[in-house]
Amino acid sequence: MSTFSVAQPGRPRALVDFYLTAMRTAVQAQLQYRVNNYFWMLGWVAEPVIYLVVWTTVAEQSGGSVDGNTAGYFAAYYIVWTLVRNMNFGLSTYAWEWRIREGILSGQLLRPLHPIHYDLAFFAGWKFVAIFLWIPIAVALSLLFEPTLDPSVLEIVVFAVAIWGAYLIRSLNLWALGTVNFWTTRGAALSELYIVVELLLSGRLVPLQLLPAWAQTLAGLLPFKWTFYFPIEALIGDLSRAELAKGLAMQVFWTAVGTALVAVMWRRGIRRYSAVNG
Amino acid sequence: MTDAVVLVDDLRKLFDVPEREAGLRAATKSLVRRKTREVRAVDGISFEIAPGEIVGFLGPNGAGKTTTLKMLSGLLYPTDGEARVLGHVPSKREREFLSRITLVMGNRNQLQWDLPALDSFELNRAIYRLPQVDFRAIRDELIELLDVGDLVRKPVRNLSLGERMKVEIVGALLHRPRVLFLDEPTIGLDVTMQKRIRSFIAAYNERHGATVLLTSHYMADVQALCRRVIVIHHGRILYDGPLVGLADTVAAWKTIAVVLENGAGDLSGFGEVIHRDGDVVTLRVPKEQTARVTARLLAEYEVVDLNVEDPPIEDVIELVFAQEDDS
Amino acid sequence: MNALGIAWLHFRLGAMNELQYRANLVIQVFQSLLQLGIGLVMLALVYSHTTNLNGWSQPELLAVLGIQILMGGVIRTAIQPNMTRLMEEVQDGKLDHALAKPVDSQVLISVREVRIWQAVDLVTGAVVLGVALVRLGGDLGMLNVLAFAAALVLGAVMIYSFWLVLTTAAFWVVRMDNVLDLFDGVYQTGRWPVGIYPSWLRFGVTFLVPVAFAVTVPAEAVTSRLEWQTLLLAAIFAVALFTFTRWFWRFGLRNYTGASA
Repeated sequence: MSTFSVAQPGRPRALVDFYLTAMRTAVQAQLQYRVNNYFWMLGWVAEPVIYLVVWTTVAEQSGGSVDGNTAGYFAAYYIVWTLVRNMNFGLSTYAWEWRIREGILSGQLLRPLHPIHYDLAFFAGWKFVAIFLWIPIAVALSLLFEPTLDPSVLEIVVFAVAIWGAYLIRSLNLWALGTVNFWTTRGAALSELYIVVELLLSGRLVPLQLLPAWAQTLAGLLPFKWTFYFPIEALIGDLSRAELAKGLAMQVFWTAVGTALVAVMWRRGIRRYSAVNG
Repeated sequence: MTDAVVLVDDLRKLFDVPEREAGLRAATKSLVRRKTREVRAVDGISFEIAPGEIVGFLGPNGAGKTTTLKMLSGLLYPTDGEARVLGHVPSKREREFLSRITLVMGNRNQLQWDLPALDSFELNRAIYRLPQVDFRAIRDELIELLDVGDLVRKPVRNLSLGERMKVEIVGALLHRPRVLFLDEPTIGLDVTMQKRIRSFIAAYNERHGATVLLTSHYMADVQALCRRVIVIHHGRILYDGPLVGLADTVAAWKTIAVVLENGAGDLSGFGEVIHRDGDVVTLRVPKEQTARVTARLLAEYEVVDLNVEDPPIEDVIELVFAQEDDS
Repeated sequence: MNALGIAWLHFRLGAMNELQYRANLVIQVFQSLLQLGIGLVMLALVYSHTTNLNGWSQPELLAVLGIQILMGGVIRTAIQPNMTRLMEEVQDGKLDHALAKPVDSQVLISVREVRIWQAVDLVTGAVVLGVALVRLGGDLGMLNVLAFAAALVLGAVMIYSFWLVLTTAAFWVVRMDNVLDLFDGVYQTGRWPVGIYPSWLRFGVTFLVPVAFAVTVPAEAVTSRLEWQTLLLAAIFAVALFTFTRWFWRFGLRNYTGASA
């Protein structure tokens, strides 16, 4: 006769095991789409290149710099931007909607694991492939635009940590946004609004110091700054140790906020889902 | 002493379905006031299942079978009544509960689409926290039982429907669940594959003593596997007992669907005419008369096509429970 | 039935179909305004730090933005829907339906889809352009207006040709899912006069992806800086590109139908 009860490893170890397995699986799946990845990557590289050129032109016409930011600074900013942008991609609200519609979510609910772990793990694995594919783009852009870049070791370390912090915060926020689909089919609209506000106040459109003062204050109160501007500035700016520490602390804070948001939205959402769809 | 694996007591599930007539006026009205209609998907069912039983839920589409399974696996919250599986309340979705059950739905796949099934199995291993050694043993045993050794290395999207179902089942059983919920597992599959999956389920149950709840609208599924049958219709249980009682009734009849060349005369002398559509006539005849009636039809008429089949489940219900069926 | 007749028929069908989904209009207006908002914010930011960009004043850049949005509307209403449908049909092997019709295949696959709600951008773009022209003041002159109209038409023809060439490549390279994202990204370069881009990029968005001809050239007409040589070049390039597109399409078609038995 068989045994039903198989000995199980402890919880944290099991979770790490899951993440590693899922990330490995994600890398395998993504490597299959190398060509597609490139088309898509090239598509959004156009965005920072445009910003870069516009501000460099403004700088040249203003005697070499804009508010003290030189063309070399802009080049560095927007090239590092491409990596940070890559780290920012997560589960879109459309994918959420599709999951609910196609019953994939039900399959996930049958498993003894919170579905967010799938997404965090899969996208994390994907990021490694993305980083790998990004390197030639970064090299090419550096040759074309001559960035001024001279980071210290500390700055590189903080940057490496910060980009994953950014990934985490944004993924949690997007996930919480995705749960809105439990209540409405128009979740996409809310998502777009989020993305637009983020575009303007995260440092994605312009380095935050170029925004009017009131906008900068507003940006300081929102999580977006710490998912975009902070990692970039950590690497290319001249932040003091205190400022670097503060940035990481803010990331921890917003990660906690994101986690709480996900926990609340998910519990409410699943109650609604299980009452109606299943 | 009840060590019942599944305990269901007066379980109900009601849905509020929005209802709207066609037309612009109705559409505008519905913006202000939404009319809903109450659908009783499951209308007070009760039963108990002992460990190791294979129970078949039989019923036509929309009878409440899938809804019941979803409630028992924790996907759907019951509106009323109580359900317990392995002592747990399913809707609480406790980790221990989820690790001991599995739900397989025909036509739905839970494996990674673009990767070989083996990779998805690894994921399941991590999710269910199976130690490597145990996992490999279980996995290899299942692969052998279902004979999918060469299929598990191919991306799932490249497999046929039947092959996909088999690897899905492997994936669903890796964590050695004690309770198997199988929702229409043979739907859309060809006859050979249906047989194979049925024999696998029987063998698995015998070898490991897992409890199986199987829903189907194919009588053949139930006949092959279940000693006990629960017939559901309109969300209510019409019959809960040994298959034998039911099989006798079903086995007693056959339907003959015949397409005639030049119009059909009165075929009522051959058997009960249950359906007529131009040149296509469906007859119901007692089983022992099937051969004789068929021979007579072929001799006396120009027959274009002729099919002998088991009566569909709806007919069985009509036959057996005519007085309780109140549609 | 000639090409125009077929186009009109499909347009009517498509429009009637889409008009049912009035909610989509609201969504579209919402999105259009969001995108416009971003564009205006960017312009405002740039002009808070400088008075002109490469010789273009703020109202002139506003005109560029308006034309980019307007042309974007044309592309998303009439061109992209047809091309994405064509791509899907090639991938799924369903192109044969279209080929079996007694109509020139290129005409059919180019006009049968329309996304009426994307036309919101036509309105948005026109309004922005109008505001820009008012702010510019001065007299535009009939010649400039004609040049503008001609440049727009030539630009649209070139974008269409570009898209069809790209989609025809789908006959050989079956997976082309992200081409849309790629184009949308590159098309954003049209928000600014292409003169500001480094030479290699300028070349790319002029002759590889004809964004310059679609947006900057009409913008030059409208801001009275268009040189007749540029317009002539546009005309020649448009004709050449269109001819090549037609040839390439038929070439790809021969290849495709030869392959499938």
